[in-house]
Amino acid sequence: MNRTLTAFIKKELTQTLRDVRMRALLFGAPIIQLTIFGLALSTEIKNIKLAVVSQPGDAVFGRVADSFYASGWFVRVGCAPGEDPYELIASGRADAVLLAPKEGLARSAERGDGKMQLLVDASNSTKARAVEAYSKNIIAAAAAREYGARGEPALKFDVRVLYNPAMESSMFLVPGVMGMLVCLITIILTAMSLTREKEMGTFETIVSAPLSDAEVLLGKTVPYILLGLADAALVVLAGYLIFGVPVRGPLWQLALAALALVVNTVSIGTFISTVARNQQQAMLGGFMFLFPAILMSGIMYPVENMPKAVIAAAYLDPLMYFVRLIRNIMLKGGDAYVLWTNLGALALMAVFAAGLAYKRFRQTLN
Amino acid sequence: MNAAPAVEVKDLSIKFGDFTAVDKVSFSVNRGEIFGFLGANGAGKTTTIRMLTGLLLPSSGSALVGGLGFGDGGRGIKKIVGYMSQKFTLYNDLTVGENLDFAAGLRKLDPAYAKKRRKELFELIAFNKPLSSKVAALPGGIKQELALAAAMLHDPEIVFLDEPTSGVAPASRARFWALIRRITGLGKTVIVTTHYMDEAEQCGRIALMRTGRLIALGSPEELKASAFPGPMAEIDFNGAGSAAFIAGLEKAPGLLELSPHGMRWHAAFAAKAAMDAALAGLPPAASAALIKPSLEDVFIRLVEGAER
Repeated sequence: MNRTLTAFIKKELTQTLRDVRMRALLFGAPIIQLTIFGLALSTEIKNIKLAVVSQPGDAVFGRVADSFYASGWFVRVGCAPGEDPYELIASGRADAVLLAPKEGLARSAERGDGKMQLLVDASNSTKARAVEAYSKNIIAAAAAREYGARGEPALKFDVRVLYNPAMESSMFLVPGVMGMLVCLITIILTAMSLTREKEMGTFETIVSAPLSDAEVLLGKTVPYILLGLADAALVVLAGYLIFGVPVRGPLWQLALAALALVVNTVSIGTFISTVARNQQQAMLGGFMFLFPAILMSGIMYPVENMPKAVIAAAYLDPLMYFVRLIRNIMLKGGDAYVLWTNLGALALMAVFAAGLAYKRFRQTLN
Repeated sequence: MNAAPAVEVKDLSIKFGDFTAVDKVSFSVNRGEIFGFLGANGAGKTTTIRMLTGLLLPSSGSALVGGLGFGDGGRGIKKIVGYMSQKFTLYNDLTVGENLDFAAGLRKLDPAYAKKRRKELFELIAFNKPLSSKVAALPGGIKQELALAAAMLHDPEIVFLDEPTSGVAPASRARFWALIRRITGLGKTVIVTTHYMDEAEQCGRIALMRTGRLIALGSPEELKASAFPGPMAEIDFNGAGSAAFIAGLEKAPGLLELSPHGMRWHAAFAAKAAMDAALAGLPPAASAALIKPSLEDVFIRLVEGAER
């Protein structure tokens, strides 16, 4: 390999890995954040407080209510006779209240009109949607049990949950968080390392050597591409060990996806360094890119649910393609169409980002 | 080695937008010379040096550095010169060895050659600390000597030093200048910028710069002789009132320069007769002595005088 590139890699790695804070940022922070995101950012809703208002002697309704509590999603909240169910929700004592019909569920179902009412606190819409979905399933199951095939009031729900049968959100979040962390670390590290060099004046020494612009750029970026890949591997391993997130697809696909992402992010970091005058500005510039990139990536909110204009912007977000890729590779084993379309888009963006960074870098050099 | 000058500059100019940072500068530097740039901040010293090291391309004019021009965008020049920039050029968080290894890598030096050069340079700068010393822990003077060694690892014929001793203790400054003389003793050419008059005195020749122009060029003695063709007196009022006399002196015929130096005044005249006439009315308590002008006097006369 080129002697200058080797010297750069050695120097950058030594500098980065010698600094305790950098080591913590590179290796400590991802593990901690992965754990926190995996555990706390859970989209599955548990411990929903459910109150039940029934009529005396309504055995069918009693069994339906019991199946709610037996599902594990709900906890029982007591309801005094004659209490206003709306008051229960308004006061926050219950997230949902299940109400039996006036005449009793057994009798109304006999008439073919087994309607219960479910009051749901939708001030937290995610929670409300979860409650609704759970309830429909539970009621459908209960109806089938009570009335068999002729169970008229039973709506036939058949929700099959694929790939993540336990609906564990860590499965879904860990690959996304991995992309986010690798993105964050490589952009910030690259931008900071370049601006620090300019701020300290050591950059002057580098450019006073007879090197081509490309050699300088590669020297300052290749070490961070390597560090980014190492970080990606670390997060995948941690996701497997801590949350049992599998890698069902081949590792080479994972490596290729990570490489395409890291080339993008390191180029963006380089671009930021050509605009920033000091390290604080570089940091700020990094986050100005990172926040929208993370929000539009689909890591936490599905891209499909966003307004059209935001969806259009999301198509310019390298992280979005990466998140699609990595979820597909890790959880579904890597579908050829998903792989090549998203990898293709990511690679195209990498070429564009690297070209732009190189152009800006040359301009600011002289 | 041939007898051609190390650096030959003709009408060198550079513009940044509308601003002319260096304006038609011409000079040449001989091989083995210590050539100094003296001037205030923003006078164009650093910009001139950055052109001559291939870091900036001139807007017009020409320069040959070691016989090479800017035809290849400055890369040829970069190969044959050494450059130590104004700011600190080593990495504080790396060791001495790691810094020199990186410097060698930047110039693609063969490891065995780099090791040999390192040994020679350590001898030259009398460096005796272990290679594993962190640069951050070294004293300022030694850091600068090491930075110079790093800039000379590829054995350049011409070495450019931009304010190499700024912020360094006086004893270390003297040591650094002894090192510069040793380097020129080896046949190398050293081009250096400085703010310090005592350092400028040690240069073979000095180029005095002001607002992008070269306003005087010569050895310290030549500059003094051309700025002050006549005698200079140092007047000490010994506590006597000076205001009235100074006010009269300012109008004296044949006065070239009058400037305060602490409690004393320096007065330069075109000729001895003019000085004798002007100082005849000196208050009795005051005394005047004939002195040799210093470079500081020259600087005040040529640089600051032009601004008044």
